[in-house]
Amino acid sequence: MTDQKNFAVFEADIQKAQARQRVVRIAVQVFLYLFLIIMALIVIFPFYFMLISSVKDLAEYRLPVQTLWPNKIILHNYIEAFHTANLGTLFSNTLYVGIVSTILSLIITVITAFVFARLEFKGKNAMFAALLATMMIPGELFTITNYQTISNFLGLRTLGRELGSKDLIALGDWKNTFTVLIVPFLVSVFYIYLLRQNFLQIPNELYLAAKVDGTSDIKYLWKVMIPLALPTLISITILKMMGAWNSYMWPRLVANDEAHRLITNGLRTAFTSVEGDVNIPVQMAAVAIVSAPLFLVFVFLRKYIMKGVSRSGIKG
Amino acid sequence: MKRKIISLLLAITLLALPLLTATSCDLLGGGKNNGDGELKEGQVKVVFYHTMGEALRTVLDKYIVEFNKLYPDIIIEHKQVGGYDDVREQIKTEITVGDQPNLAYCYPDHVAAYNIAYAVKPLDELISSTKVITRADGTTETLGLTQAQIDDFIDAFYAEGAVYGDGKMYTLPMSKSTEVLYYNKTFFDANGLVPPTTWDEMEVLCEKLLELDPDCIPFGYDSEGNFFITMCEQLGTPYTSATGDLFLFDNAENRAFVEKFRSWYEKGYFETGELSGVSYTSGLFTKAPAEEGNCYMCIGSSGGANHQKPKNDDGTYKFEVGITSIPQVDPSNPKVISQGPSLCIFDKADPAEVEATWLFAKFLTTNVDFQAEFSMTSGYMPVLESVKDHPVYAAELEAANGKEGLTLLTAKVALEQANAYYTSPAFNGSSTARDQVGLLMQQALPLTAEKDGDVAAKIKALFEDAIYKCKYDAGLQ
Amino acid sequence: MVGSKKPWKAWLYLSPAIVLLLIFTVWPIINTVRMAFLEGYNALAVAGGKKFEFGFANFVNVIEYRDFVTCLKNTVLLCVLTVPISTFLALVISVCLNAIKPFRRMLQTIFFLPYVTNSIAIGMVFAAMFNMVGRNIGGKNELILTAGIINNVIEFFGGQAINWINKGSSEVANMTVMVIYIVWNALPFKILVLLGGLQSVNKQYYDAAKVDGTSRLRTFTRITVPLLSPMITYVVITGFIGGFKEYSSIVGIFGEKMGPTSNPYRLDTMVGFIYRDLANQQGRASAAALILFGIIFVVTMLNLYISKKNTHY
Repeated sequence: MTDQKNFAVFEADIQKAQARQRVVRIAVQVFLYLFLIIMALIVIFPFYFMLISSVKDLAEYRLPVQTLWPNKIILHNYIEAFHTANLGTLFSNTLYVGIVSTILSLIITVITAFVFARLEFKGKNAMFAALLATMMIPGELFTITNYQTISNFLGLRTLGRELGSKDLIALGDWKNTFTVLIVPFLVSVFYIYLLRQNFLQIPNELYLAAKVDGTSDIKYLWKVMIPLALPTLISITILKMMGAWNSYMWPRLVANDEAHRLITNGLRTAFTSVEGDVNIPVQMAAVAIVSAPLFLVFVFLRKYIMKGVSRSGIKG
Repeated sequence: MKRKIISLLLAITLLALPLLTATSCDLLGGGKNNGDGELKEGQVKVVFYHTMGEALRTVLDKYIVEFNKLYPDIIIEHKQVGGYDDVREQIKTEITVGDQPNLAYCYPDHVAAYNIAYAVKPLDELISSTKVITRADGTTETLGLTQAQIDDFIDAFYAEGAVYGDGKMYTLPMSKSTEVLYYNKTFFDANGLVPPTTWDEMEVLCEKLLELDPDCIPFGYDSEGNFFITMCEQLGTPYTSATGDLFLFDNAENRAFVEKFRSWYEKGYFETGELSGVSYTSGLFTKAPAEEGNCYMCIGSSGGANHQKPKNDDGTYKFEVGITSIPQVDPSNPKVISQGPSLCIFDKADPAEVEATWLFAKFLTTNVDFQAEFSMTSGYMPVLESVKDHPVYAAELEAANGKEGLTLLTAKVALEQANAYYTSPAFNGSSTARDQVGLLMQQALPLTAEKDGDVAAKIKALFEDAIYKCKYDAGLQ
Repeated sequence: MVGSKKPWKAWLYLSPAIVLLLIFTVWPIINTVRMAFLEGYNALAVAGGKKFEFGFANFVNVIEYRDFVTCLKNTVLLCVLTVPISTFLALVISVCLNAIKPFRRMLQTIFFLPYVTNSIAIGMVFAAMFNMVGRNIGGKNELILTAGIINNVIEFFGGQAINWINKGSSEVANMTVMVIYIVWNALPFKILVLLGGLQSVNKQYYDAAKVDGTSRLRTFTRITVPLLSPMITYVVITGFIGGFKEYSSIVGIFGEKMGPTSNPYRLDTMVGFIYRDLANQQGRASAAALILFGIIFVVTMLNLYISKKNTHY
């Protein structure tokens, strides 16, 4: 009897312990969600603030205690922002630079990565090591000289001046062109490295078989390797486009005229040269317009962006 | 074999890509204005960089046609290169590659920078040249400037060409602006106020304005740098020198006036451009009284009159604007800053190019019709005394009012103080000095004893720091 | 690997990349070193025919510059404050995210959002959140129309409105804003990497800990952190490298004068110094860039050394 009783007590204890454990687990889960939700709210608050402010009128924005939901929604700010910051031109400039530089950069990256992954030649390893070594140096160090380089590319401008050739001068003077925003950044050692690793995972037998069949390198690259490495290529594409969208200092230095100005720089200039008070709702509308394309890309290609970013550690 | 050729072609294309994009981008992006057509035998091309907007370019084009009637073989190619700073940076880069223009808009500071590379042509020989040139219409002119032409320049503007400490003349004045005091004439008239002529009167006026409207800021001063330099000139205290010890502005008198204006600032008498957060105080001035933070007066560039118009959205005016000279320390010895572009000529290997450039520069600066029309379009002052007698110009000035005619009204006021203009010495480092005294004001004015303790010591430290940075930038530290 | 019979072909394929790298990467490195060691090098003076002495003057000049200390102090301060804070927060958030099932995807996406933004554009948003709108703020007749949403929140909880970035604001306030902004900006990348690391950690370690009845905190410090140490090292190093190059986030909030209107250049950094010298003093700018590179190099090596000592497998 006593054994049975003892056993019952024991069982009850276990049940109690399990119940307690369940309570603890639920409590922990509740706590986790609470913490995460609070953090998430903090993280998205600036976006929320941007959106609500962008549809307020100036008087409402200036209320002593700001409203968390606009009393009256004014979409006119967006139209004004579009005109004030001349966003149309900025968008098309940025898009143009983004697309052209992405395409050219992809071609170069694919070919270079292919060579390092598949071909065999003297000095390959030394070459690759040298490439990787350049990754360590901060970009600011290049800016000083590149600024001089693009003013007189390969000395063509001086040469053109001496020969009296306008074409040579134009070829040597890259300032305030789209070229200057595209060409200096076409080769990214990091993307080459990324793609090469990806290519290396493709079994060598496929390549040998292709060679036996008499398939050319280019055809093999196009038909086999590129499709297999597509996710990496998409990541690279997106990061490169984001780079064009976010670049600030270089464009400001070398292409700061109306015709070639890119979006970040344009946004900054538009709202510092205004006289009188800065109209913050309009400014927020402009920021919202500028942020929208990146968000859309993110929504559709989340997977690739996050994959690419986790491996790169660089913004853009 | 075929494959080999294809891959070779591919590689060449890839190599050529940067260059291809260079050209195609230029085509797509509107390209650079590198002129059109090759020069014919005997023709000389003059490349001219400026900052003129569309309206002024129209005037310029009109007079280039006039100029070409006299000199058909001088082809003028002009280009707007953004603002003054853009012109300077562009030319500085171009000098390093030997591709600078022939003629450019300039400020004395720019010329000092270009002359690190000895790129600007001294004009003394050209000015004194007695060579006689026959023009296309059969008339003649001397290459140099006649005494009458020199005398016609407003003295201070002409003298600006020789502020470089070496006695040489480097620039010709093109069109000038200065600082003037804009005031709310409607409000002043209604309250029986008169605009101040001295800083002492200004002080009294500020007190009064704050009594009338405790929420106002009596006046705004756009440029902290100009404020400092103009006070030095008015007080007769040292600022900079193009020779010897370059940076002289750290002295007891200057510290004293900074301290005085600091106390004004603390009392809420005025606001400045940078401190207001938007670079200009015109935004405060054009507010109607009782709008928060409005100013009743604004000291700003005479060239920026368009921004001082208190226009409502429907085109009506909130009030009438009055314009007068800025307050002085000593009204019998007035000093106001001379700003606005001059022209500098770049030295070239071919003397014919330099001579052609000079002829064009001389045409622009001494042609009364051009100067009059340019001034009426821009609101900047002409640089010639005789423009005042130009019939159209004189009539327009007479009719100018404090609303739509504001631009001309500023030119009128600015011309009336022709004896008061000054230009600071220019040397390698003078632009740093300007920036530094501006930053000094920006930091000194908001100091308060309550917040910052020993204000005098803080101001002293700011002066010392500004001098240090000037010297550091000039490579003297 | 396949031995190609035609090595010239490989070089041919490589040529575009090599040419571009030679022009825009290799030459700048050589030239930067050259300019850094030519005393007082200045491109305009070169055009004027000036010759420069070889020497260390540019480096001395940069280091002796009075505000170099300010630049260095700001840069280091921002690193030292933001890297640990953001790494710790990211670690905690990642561990929490890893411990939940429903909504994990959604929350993960939200935490990643700040990454897909433009630091200048969102800087403007942060500036607006902290900005006071009014007249003569901090002076006589002060009139604050709105103290900004952040101050509204502070006032809601019974605090006093703080002048964060406007005229007369304190350095502590300015720095706080910068730290908040930079941490906010740095979180997504760190969470992404750390969460990726957590998901690849072998569950057995945790099961063992559970059997032993190890407390959660102990599990965290004794198992999670050591197992994640390679990823932590990675985010700390990239954080430091980014931190030493801080520039555009400051411009985003304070504008190119890098400080409140009453204290321009108060938040100046190394990169800011380099960019301002770029047009006129190329020798000095080059020396400063090399010094920056040196600092980043040393800090990275130090980080690697420390993490090697502390990596547990």
